Amino acid sequence: MPGATLSRWTMSYFAAACVFLVIGQGMMVSGYGYPFADIGAPATLALVHVLAIGWLGLLMVGALLQFVPVLVAAPLRAGRLALPALLLLIAGLLLLVGGFASLGGTPGMAPGMLPFGAFSLVTGFGFVTIMLASTIAAARPLPLPARFVAVGLTALIATVLVGGIFTLVLSGALANDTAIALLLEGAPLHAALGLGGWLTFTAIGVSYRLLPMFMLAPDSARATSKAVWWSGVVALALVAACVVSIAAGSAAVKWPLGLAALFSVSATLLYSTDLSRLFRERRRKIVELNILASYAAFAALLVSVVMFALPVTRSAAGEGAAAVVYLFVFGWLTGLGLAQLYKIVPFLTWLECYGPVLGRAAVPRVQDLVRERRARLWFCLYYGAVVAATISLFADNPMAFRIAVLAQLGATSGLLVEFARARELSAVAAPLRFPAGAPRPHLFLPISRPQE
Amino acid sequence: MTTAPQTPAPRELDVRPILRGGGEPFQAIMEAVNGLKPGQALRLFAPFRPQPLFKVMEGRGFGHEAQELDGGDWEVLFTPKPSGAPVAVSAAADNPDTWPEPVEHLDLTDLDPPEPMVRILAAAERMEPGEVLFALLSREPIFLFPELAKRGHQWAGNFDETRTTFRIFVRVGKPRN
Repeated sequence: MPGATLSRWTMSYFAAACVFLVIGQGMMVSGYGYPFADIGAPATLALVHVLAIGWLGLLMVGALLQFVPVLVAAPLRAGRLALPALLLLIAGLLLLVGGFASLGGTPGMAPGMLPFGAFSLVTGFGFVTIMLASTIAAARPLPLPARFVAVGLTALIATVLVGGIFTLVLSGALANDTAIALLLEGAPLHAALGLGGWLTFTAIGVSYRLLPMFMLAPDSARATSKAVWWSGVVALALVAACVVSIAAGSAAVKWPLGLAALFSVSATLLYSTDLSRLFRERRRKIVELNILASYAAFAALLVSVVMFALPVTRSAAGEGAAAVVYLFVFGWLTGLGLAQLYKIVPFLTWLECYGPVLGRAAVPRVQDLVRERRARLWFCLYYGAVVAATISLFADNPMAFRIAVLAQLGATSGLLVEFARARELSAVAAPLRFPAGAPRPHLFLPISRPQE
Repeated sequence: MTTAPQTPAPRELDVRPILRGGGEPFQAIMEAVNGLKPGQALRLFAPFRPQPLFKVMEGRGFGHEAQELDGGDWEVLFTPKPSGAPVAVSAAADNPDTWPEPVEHLDLTDLDPPEPMVRILAAAERMEPGEVLFALLSREPIFLFPELAKRGHQWAGNFDETRTTFRIFVRVGKPRN
């Protein structure tokens, strides 16, 4: 039977992700990692993985467990792997971070934690891939958004496997020349596969379904959307080819990466035209906060990709184009994540609590679960702080960076409180809050429903 | 579960009395077309070959077969093209073409989600078991399907030929407690 039900563990994924977002920003505020250490320093690696796996990875997996069934209009397969996957991912991340810390000289940790962490992460993401890929594979013909997710999952597997090899080298378990060459030259490719392939490509795919849903815009697959998919696939294939060529022992070649950057820019430009078309053709004239905040994230995507592709701005952005990567991670990926959480958390909570009594009792509207005015201030502060932090990285001013990230942490915390309040239904007027028969949602644990 | 398109008996519409009375049958034809079940054909009787209508119906995804009857009248069978979206039905929905005519018609195409879901479930609560409601939505109500099933209602629905409107029939089930 077609249809999607609430994903049991999505809220738990979201909660864990938010905790890691706070931790990651807290690390930067306290001066941990880049720009207070080198871009390749163990502290930076620990920080980057807390954000990329802990925050963005768990957020994306939680969202996909809920929305891949919506993309293909079929129930999630192998859903019982969701909780083990979450536990494996968290355990793997903690081991990984511990291993990086030991490389940085933290006592009590050992580099040997790195491969164990990687093994746990590979297994966890493997479980995720089994759930999502089998759900997607059951759908024919595959809708375009699901094809984006399929490519994203492929990139995820590539990222995690390459990362796994890195941990073997860093821990000293593997010492052959190829693996060492991969570690020395492949780190930017690992990052490109993870941030560009897995997180960005998947987010773009899901947005092609969610934006028309929220804005009541036509969601037929356009030629431009297909071109975004093809350009992105070519870019990712070029990056993957570079990884293979390094692993095959040939000298690192630069031109495929230049070409990949070109295809990424063209994919981003095409995606931008799709986004402005969706906005123009929307039938819902009121633009909700989650849409506004998402479009701010889209602007950050466009700006950061263009700045990455231009040699002038890339070289001005510091080691490893750090300032541009920061804008990409916090303006685009994190901004979009927070904007969508602001819509998804109230919606799923509403469905969980009021779904069973719809039509039988008066229930609040979804938008009654949040206070938009307060959240709007937090989003303004958030994006302002991201811009300030990016500029301070360009200006090589670590002190200004810390202050900007502190403001960013404040805004994020404010939004997290709003999400928790939505879960608690505390914005809903008392008579409507808990109609008879409505289950009371837990903050981040699923309601046990024996009939399902 | 997606089943092969069912083929309910064609709906019949005779516009000859309307034309004889000097009326304009276009409105009646379009109402009949909008009321068709997914996959259902329309058999039209007219005093002439309704050439302009062929183009209109073509645009809505219907092919036609016209034949002249004795006495100069025409019978046209408009059949939805098989390229239309297949009809999806709930697990318990046995043979939707035997369902009675809908007692309630809801046009929910302009409502923000999840309002269409709220309206359909509320309407189903008001109706008697066995009665059918028909609704138009701007997208596939993914989250509604499990809720209908949980409440013992049956449904059958699909996208129209332009894939912009989702049509759903819901047959109200016996109340469960």
